[in-house]
Amino acid sequence: MSLVADRVEPSTKMDVPESESQADERNRSLIKISNFDFFYGDKQALFDINMDIAEREVTAFIGPSGCGKSTLLRCINRMNDLIDIARIGRGNVQVNGVDVYDERVDATELRKRVGMVFQKSNPFPKSIYENVVYGLRIQGINRKSVLDDTVERCLKGAALWEEVSDRLDTSGLSLSGGQQQRLCIARALAVEPDILLMDEPCSALDPVATAKVEELINNLKNRYTIVIVTHNMQQAARVSDKTAFFYLGNLIEMNATVQIFMSPEKEQTEAYISGRFG
Amino acid sequence: MSDREPEDRYDLSSRRKSFLGLTKESALKGLFGGNAFVSIVVLGLITFFLFKEGFGFFGQYREDLTIYRKSGLEYVELMREEQNALSALNRYLNSIRTLQSEQLTESGLEFSDVKAVLRKDEDFFYDFEDLAFPLREHILEASEVVATARDSYEEMLDLQEHRQNLINAGRQSEANSFEITEIDLGQMFELVKSKEGDFNAINRHLEEEIPALLERAPIYDDPDLNSRMNRFKELATLFLSEIPVYEERIVLWNREDAISIGESFTSFIFGKKWVTNSSIQNWYGIVPLFSGSLLVAMIAMFFAVPFGVGAAVYVNQVARPLEQNLIKPFIEFISAIPSVVIGFFGIAVFGTLIRNMSGWDSMEWVNFFPLSERLTGFTAGCLLALMAIPTIFTLAEDALNNVPIAFKEASMALGSTKLQTIIRIIVPTALSGIISAVLLGFGRVIGETMVVLLCAGNRIEIPQFTEGIGVFFEPVHTMTGIIAQELGEVVNGSLHYRALFVVGLTLFLISLLINYFAQKIVLKFQISRG
Ligand SMILES: Nc1ncnc2c1ncn2[C@@H]1O[C@H](COP(=O)(O)OP(=O)(O)OP(=O)(O)O)[C@@H](O)[C@H]1O
Ligand SMILES: [Mg+2]
Repeated sequence: MSLVADRVEPSTKMDVPESESQADERNRSLIKISNFDFFYGDKQALFDINMDIAEREVTAFIGPSGCGKSTLLRCINRMNDLIDIARIGRGNVQVNGVDVYDERVDATELRKRVGMVFQKSNPFPKSIYENVVYGLRIQGINRKSVLDDTVERCLKGAALWEEVSDRLDTSGLSLSGGQQQRLCIARALAVEPDILLMDEPCSALDPVATAKVEELINNLKNRYTIVIVTHNMQQAARVSDKTAFFYLGNLIEMNATVQIFMSPEKEQTEAYISGRFG
Repeated sequence: MSDREPEDRYDLSSRRKSFLGLTKESALKGLFGGNAFVSIVVLGLITFFLFKEGFGFFGQYREDLTIYRKSGLEYVELMREEQNALSALNRYLNSIRTLQSEQLTESGLEFSDVKAVLRKDEDFFYDFEDLAFPLREHILEASEVVATARDSYEEMLDLQEHRQNLINAGRQSEANSFEITEIDLGQMFELVKSKEGDFNAINRHLEEEIPALLERAPIYDDPDLNSRMNRFKELATLFLSEIPVYEERIVLWNREDAISIGESFTSFIFGKKWVTNSSIQNWYGIVPLFSGSLLVAMIAMFFAVPFGVGAAVYVNQVARPLEQNLIKPFIEFISAIPSVVIGFFGIAVFGTLIRNMSGWDSMEWVNFFPLSERLTGFTAGCLLALMAIPTIFTLAEDALNNVPIAFKEASMALGSTKLQTIIRIIVPTALSGIISAVLLGFGRVIGETMVVLLCAGNRIEIPQFTEGIGVFFEPVHTMTGIIAQELGEVVNGSLHYRALFVVGLTLFLISLLINYFAQKIVLKFQISRG
């Protein structure tokens, strides 16, 4: 995995060649956030975050509104670069051992490795087919056979193939909300990322569609490292292996999901989960 | 019972204060509704008035064309075409002679020697010139007769109308007091028609003399002059072969053919001449004005579209907030400059600048440079571009702004660069908005008056599209310009007056069409965004 632009000498690349044993190991830390402070203008949004996110696990971010879950998520694939006033105070975010805010890192390369699904489904005003292959087209891949294969594989991967295989030419906007969200997941899968960031992917969906997306997440976690932000405690409990609880820009507690929900260490966590404050 | 009845909580009748039976709401509603009604009525009246004045034109123009035919003016004009062809030949011949004299002078000969050389074959040139003389005389005579006939006939019509008006007003005696000489156009025309034999005789004479004369054509040492002379011979032979065509057209011409309203319509829409205040015949053909307007608008859009759209994309997507705050007001400020000021700038500075620049040595490779004109379609087009840029910029920027930020985020999150996102997502999504911005900019340009009136050169002629790029540097006249220029001088209700109204009507229809399409496109845009 190379996040560093070509101009960097091979020797300085921070690639870690994956050995067989490493790949097999399930709990290897893929994302490592250390002493991370983050600001919007003068306002500090994240305070000294330290966390490890393990490979091929689902990690859930929970916490009351405005506590900085989305902010941290968007720091992992540098989507906050799009916000003019955003800046980092201290610390770093490492993906596979590479500091993503290193100046030699090309953010577009990073984002090809770290896919993202947004709270509100946002398919492009293009056909379903073009939506899925967009990530390939921008990389200059235009071979019809490759694109066709990708569309089928990703739509199947996102459990959408059955519903849309006969109308790939219609606009992505003509789908229902749940279908649109799965289309967005398929679109993210097409780039073959290692990590999938999901910011409240089910908040606009009905229970049936939510169940489908959750099932999808369960299937995907064999191949992808998934970080999901959610306000739905049951959902966090159902889909995640680890859960992190945030409060006012601080990471209060992070542990195995069972641990967090059964016997949280911190009182604030306990209070939030049991619904005593929010 | 107590003084105050307990309030009935379920008395739901209105408690609003009313004045003269009007509540505040209904008064406001009346006010706004009234305003809307007045503006609709005013607009309706304007449209109605435009159409009424405009459509009267076609009937009137038909009468005018009928007189043109009946009086025989048309007949004379047909003959004149032959004369024009002959004159063109003569001009070509003279250009050869001018060239020869230039060459001689350049070769260092004294003035008197040059004259001596030229005198050697001056007979040929003078003889050819003399050939045109009888034809010219014949046509001049005929033209005088028919023009007089037409003028007296129109005078008679005026008098008749005047008398009718008097009778209608009940002033019978006054009406009878003046005499009206009846003019018979047919009789007058017979005077001309009877001399058709003369015309044919002149042609026979030409057919005889020209070949004989060509035999005596001088032969030069200079190859350039020689090739020109050969070309002249070709042209002269061509002219000879066309003489029967001219004659045939005169024979085929029928004074009794009626002119339909459709013909008056087509001679407006496809008419290649806009001639007013002519002693022979006025022509109201919109083609030169329309093509002038179109040409200027094309030049303007050529510059305004890339600049306007480019600036919009830059400001909306690339620029930092500081730049945005600088560029946006600046471009919008341009639209606050009064058009007369821009036109003044065009005359005083820009036109001269372009002409001077076209004279630079580094510009020599452009074959139509240096320019002789200061005010051309190009001058006006550039300034109009300046006026269209704010329109296009503002509307295109709006369209880009309306692209949901979610699209941009989704695209960036898939690993595309900023540029790829702009080209593949943002601009295509905003495309219909951008197109309608361009259309409205076009509408602004087509309808702009002051700048074209001041800077386009105001020559009423169809631009020579065969000239290639050079066509853009010709002076042109426009639909808006002609209305502004001529409407103040025309007699109310005259044919000319109505013709200008129809030009206005055409402009109105064009604007209407542009707006219609712009709206349709925007509508499509909204639908596609779901
Ligand atoms: N673009 C921005 N500019 C300025 N401040 C921002 C911006 N985005 C977020 N913030 C601030 O940062 C803090 C954290 O916001 P964030 O969106 O990360 O919260 P969140 O935990 O995702 O909340 P929610 O559950 O409601 O989505 C909030 O106080 C918010 O006001
Ligand atoms: Mg959020």
